[in-house]
Order: sequence, then C-alpha cells, then structure tokens
Amino acid sequence: MTRFTLGGAVLRGTVSTALIASLMSAPALAAPPVDLSKWSPEYVRSIAGTQDFDTAADCAKVTPLDYKGRLTFWYQGVFEGDPDLLRQYYKDFFETFRKTYPNIQLEEQALTYNDLLDKFRTALLGNAAPMAVRLQILGGTEFASKGYLQPLKPEDVGYSADDFWPGAMKAVTWDGVTYGIPTNNETMAFIWNADIFKRAGLDPDKAPATWDDVVKYSKQIHDKLGIAGYGLVARKNAGNTPYRFMPQLWAYGGGVFDEATANPTYQQIELDSPQSKAALQASYDMYVRDKSVPVSALTNQQADNQPLFLAGQLGMMISHPSDYNVMLDLQKKATGTDKDKAQTVIDNMRYGLIPTGPDGKRAVVFGGSNIHILKPEYVEGGKVDEPAAKAIICMWSSPEWSLKMAYAGSNPGNLNGFKTKWMKERLDSIKFLDVTTSMLPYGIPFPALPQSPEIMNIIIPDMLQNALTGAMTVDQAADDAAKKVKDLMGGL
Amino acid sequence: MLRKIWEHRADYAYVLPAIAVMLVVIAYPIYYTIDLSFFNTPPGLQLRDKTFVGFNNYTTILTSAVFWKVTWNTLIWTVGSTVISFVLGFAAALALHRDFFGRGVLRAILIIPWVISAVAASYIWKWIYHSDFGIIGAVLVGLGLADRPPNFIDSVSTVLPSLIVVNIWREFPFAMIMMMAGLQTVPDQLLRAAKVDGANAWQRFWHVTFPHLSNVSTVTILLLAVANFNSFIIPWIMTGGGPSNASHIWITHIYELAFGRQRWGVASAYSVLLFIILMTLGYFYVRALSGNDRRDEGA
Repeated sequence: MTRFTLGGAVLRGTVSTALIASLMSAPALAAPPVDLSKWSPEYVRSIAGTQDFDTAADCAKVTPLDYKGRLTFWYQGVFEGDPDLLRQYYKDFFETFRKTYPNIQLEEQALTYNDLLDKFRTALLGNAAPMAVRLQILGGTEFASKGYLQPLKPEDVGYSADDFWPGAMKAVTWDGVTYGIPTNNETMAFIWNADIFKRAGLDPDKAPATWDDVVKYSKQIHDKLGIAGYGLVARKNAGNTPYRFMPQLWAYGGGVFDEATANPTYQQIELDSPQSKAALQASYDMYVRDKSVPVSALTNQQADNQPLFLAGQLGMMISHPSDYNVMLDLQKKATGTDKDKAQTVIDNMRYGLIPTGPDGKRAVVFGGSNIHILKPEYVEGGKVDEPAAKAIICMWSSPEWSLKMAYAGSNPGNLNGFKTKWMKERLDSIKFLDVTTSMLPYGIPFPALPQSPEIMNIIIPDMLQNALTGAMTVDQAADDAAKKVKDLMGGL
Repeated sequence: MLRKIWEHRADYAYVLPAIAVMLVVIAYPIYYTIDLSFFNTPPGLQLRDKTFVGFNNYTTILTSAVFWKVTWNTLIWTVGSTVISFVLGFAAALALHRDFFGRGVLRAILIIPWVISAVAASYIWKWIYHSDFGIIGAVLVGLGLADRPPNFIDSVSTVLPSLIVVNIWREFPFAMIMMMAGLQTVPDQLLRAAKVDGANAWQRFWHVTFPHLSNVSTVTILLLAVANFNSFIIPWIMTGGGPSNASHIWITHIYELAFGRQRWGVASAYSVLLFIILMTLGYFYVRALSGNDRRDEGA
C-alpha cells in the first residue's frame, strides 16, 4: 500500500464530508421523508403511492410560472443502451417544462455520458458553458473544486437535504459547500440467463454467491457451451468500466482509497493492496486464463453486451433494471427466428444481488447524476438566468420528474419520489426493480474528489487493460495504477 | 522595399482579409499553445492558475516511456499508411489508366472508401473486426480456417496493423486520383517514341512515365504523410488508443492528455513538437510545389 500526504484541498473535502455526514444525522434537522434504516423491497412497496405532489405548484414557489427568461442547459441524456421508454420520458419532460414555464426560452442540449465531461471542460475554458448542467455523479466535485459552479443547495429549489440520499449529497459537496442537486441515484444488479445456466449444469435460479463463483461459472459456461460466461467491460473512457469493476474491487476488500469504509478519508491509496490485486486477478483469470469472457471486452461497453446477451451468447452481466426493457426493445426489432430466440432469452432473464467478496462483503457503485448552476463568468454571454435555472432544477429534481426521468434505469434522487403513484406503477411494470432497489444500501459513492473522473475513466481502465493484454503482470498493473493515482493526487 | 509594397498595394489589400483571419484563427492559437507549453496546469485547478515551469514539460515528455511508445506507434502508423496507400493508389491508377470495359464503374467503386465519412467507416470496420462476432471472424470460422475469431483490435500486437489496414483502405483512393491526374500529363508522344525505339512496357514506365510523375508523387506522399500524422478519427473511434496504449499515436495521446486528463501544459508541449515536425514536412511540400512551378516556367 502507498501512503501519501494529501494537500489541504483534500483535507478540506474530508472535513466537509464529515461535517455534512454529521449534519445529516443531526436530530435538529427535519426527519427524512423515508426511513432508510428500514430499506427493503417490502418497505419500498409499502410507501409507494402514499403521497401526491403538485410539481407545478411546488416549483411556482421557487420561480413564478409566468417568469420570463432564457436558459441554456446541457444534460447527460439517453444513449444507445437506454430503452425507448426512457426516451419518451425525456421528451415528455421538456414538453411539460415548456408548458409549465411558457415564457422561459429553453435551449437544451443532450450529450452522452462519455462525451459530456470533455465537451463541458472545453466549453469552460472558453467561457462558453451553459447556464445549468446535469452531470454524472462523478463530475460535480471536479468542477466545484475549480470554482466553476455556484453554491446550490436543495433549499434553494424548494427541497431539503434530507429529501436526498446522504451518499448523493456527499457527491455534490466540496469544502463544506453544496454545489448541486441530485436528480437520480441508482445501483445496478446482477443479471443472468437461466437457460444458459441450466444447459451449463448450473442452478438456473441461483446467482453466483461470490465473485470467485462468477469466475467459476463463467468458465463452466464457456467450457460447456462455447459462449462467453460473464460480460466483462474494460473499455477506456467509458463509464461502464468503473461501474462494473469497482463492485468487484470493493467486494474483495480493495479500493482506490478507503472509499468503501463508512467514513472515508481518502488518505491511503489501496489500489496496490493484496485485496485489490485479488480483484484484478479475478478479471485476469476470466479474460486470459479461462478465456471465458468476450474477447472484445477491451473495446466494448455495456451497449455491446446487450445484443450478445439477447442473442444467447452471454451468460451473466451487471446492469440496470432497464436492461430488461432494452431487451424487449431489441426483441421487437429482431426478425424471423431471431425474434423467438430473443424471447427465450427474455423469458429466462433473472436478476439477483451482486455477488460478495470472499469475506461476504457486497458492494455496488452508488451512481446517478446531479444538476448544477454555473457562475456567470464561465457562461456564454456572461449572464446566468438564475430563476430560469432554478425552475428547471426544481422540476427535474421534483418527486414526480426525478422518478419519471429514472423510470426504467435508475431511481429518483428525491426520496419523495418513492412515495408517488408513479413509483407504485413502476414497481408493477418494471420487472426486477425490487432487486436493484435492494442493492441501494450496498451502494458506495465514487470518491468525492476532483480527481475521480481521471481515476475512474482512465487509470482504472488502463490498469485492467495493462493486466488483461499482458502488457504488465497483475501486480505490475496494480502498482502502476497506484503510482498514477499517487502522482495525480500530488498534482502531477 | 516600401516602394515595392506600395506598387503592389492592391495585391496586399486583396490578401489582407485572409491574413487577418489567419492571424486570429491560426497564429494566435499557435502562440497560445507555445505559451501554454511552458506552464504546469494541475488537473485540480483552473487553467488561469497555471504555474510557469520553463522547459519542464518538454523534459517530462522526452524522458517518459509513453512518449517513445507513442512516437514509435506514430512512425509505424504514418510510414506504413503512407507508403502502402501510395503504392496501392499508384498501382490502381496505372491499371485504370488503360482503356478497358467497366473502367468507369471500377474507378467509381474504388473512390467510395475515400468519400465515406471517416466516422462511419471507423464504426463499420469496428464491427467487421469485432473479436467476438465480427464478419471476418465469422467467415474464417465458418470456412473452418480458424477455431475462433481472430483478435484484431483487442490485442496489443495486432491492433496497430489492423488500424493501418483501415486507414489504407480509406486513403489509397486519394493517391489513386492524384496519380491518375499525373498520368494524364505524361506526353503520349514520348511513350510512343520510346516504343518505336524498342523500349518494353517496364522500360517505358521506368524511364518515361515514372520520372514524369516524380513531382506529383512527392506531393502525394507529403500530403498523405501530413494527413496520417494528424489522423485522429480512425484510431480514436475504433480503439481510443487502446488496448494498453498500443494504438495511441501522437494526436490521440495529445487529445487524451488535454481533454481527458486536463494536462494542458504537457499536451501543448506535445503539440509544439508535432507542429515542428509538420512544419518540416510542410516545408518539403512547398519546396516540391515550387519545384513544379519552376519546371513549368522552364518549359
């Protein structure tokens, strides 16, 4: 393991995180709208549909509905791996916003997960950023720490910090100040094809209990059926990679830092620890030793695994509950006998909890997105229409729309969303939603550090690729990644 | 000198708008990039908080292992793509210079790769090469020539040659068109005279046609080399420089350093070095063009 002294910035971040965490549990504050200690599929069902919300009326208190203004807005939108259902909700949202605020001239731009950060950074350098932006959970701290974002707390848009997941609030907090509002938060689940399991001699109704089992199952599926067992993803600059590798890393007891602990300090690099190396070794065993995962894992992302899974050529993968809807969409597009084959896969699709590590530790990335307002000096034209920005933020992070915009693939950032009638409807219509909501308590946020995007999008995939291509041994790849993180944290 | 400028004031006035635009969109970015190359730009700070580090970025680059790996990749990529594209393009031009049935259709077909968008071509080839269910792999396995699909772009040893093949496929039509244009200028009477003097086909090509194409060949090779040195789309879309940096060439590495890792200072230093190399190639290009002009004037 590598020790290093972090700068004041990180220390401030840690102190602020601890401060926020303590504030979250302070009895002086209003009680959260849901009881997170009781979180279970049954509890979620019991609160669904118990409260009505009037979004327009609530947001009118933040920005009057007749307000006249102009707003430029970029957001991480739907991409090729999302279901059609989600596309429709995005369309509905912007139509509803325009109807609710007819005098706000909205100029929105959708960007995919992998393109948004690069484009946003470039726009900031030229002082040509939009007035408001919805970023992936990984991005907020970077821009807050650099001073690009305006302080923005839930109370500014009509909500309370208690209305959101504590982990999500950490991701929008830097140096003790809140810079954004969580719009949606999710945890993924483990998906497998029961028919493939059966044909490979595995229990079709039982997910692998541990990551070591995943390695074994993957090999068994490949050896018996000649198809890929587990849908490994190790592409660089793709959010899919850390979302699939970090749960494995944490389950084995590893980490980039100590982000998997209850009170992370980010002071010690753990990427070169024996536990982290064991997690990397598991990927190596599947890719190199057993050749039981797609060879294309180094250039693929999850959107490439989906058709493989639907074609019955992949046994297991990690993904959102929305993948069930994606499969239905893809099946509709299939023709001839492919349509029947796809239906067989859909009928045999099973969701389970993500496997544990050797010590029974279960973990998953606590993902999601946040919405932020920029400082005027970085915005095209040098002006920010704050009321207009707050109007869209209030609406997107409302119980209604934070649920609808996360209908198939995620969960509402606003905890009140779980109480809406749409949540009740969603529980009935989105198969396997229970499993992914059950994973939420195991969710671990990415380190709330400005360096996190580079660590997750470049250093971690590089580590995987170095080990899996044989460019380095597992030990060397882990040591190399730890050194890169150390250099990065040292300002190099 | 001032008198000369005054005499040609109308000419200068005509080019002035172009010069003004170039100063804004070319000269200033070059100046800014050179300036930025002397600063450290930590990823956790805004660009305005940069600190002067002199030639540190240049020494960092020249002493890093990645630089030499990326430079080697760039050389293989540029030389391989340029030479093979030129040879194939030249051969195709010679073949199409003859009159035969279907020549027009064949010429149109061969130009298709060049007119297809590089982005679309990259995605198409990514699927053709796909290591699990690519077309090439499926055909080879189907014919019993391989047990499993070959690994084209997920292997450190095969990724760069595989990308070079795509690049050649896309740009050899350009060489073909250039050389076809050059072949039109070879005087027919010289070829006929050589034939009368008893020269065979190879001798006519080597002693008459080829020398006549030396200038257009030089220009074509230089244009291909500059385009390949700057080539971004194919390697970035198909592999993003991976796996394990095996297909990173200078331009993709610079992009990743700047926009992915926000090392603007180091990326600028890389860009300055790339600029020097390209300016050198540009110098030879201009010299080749000037040679053409002088020869034309002499004729």
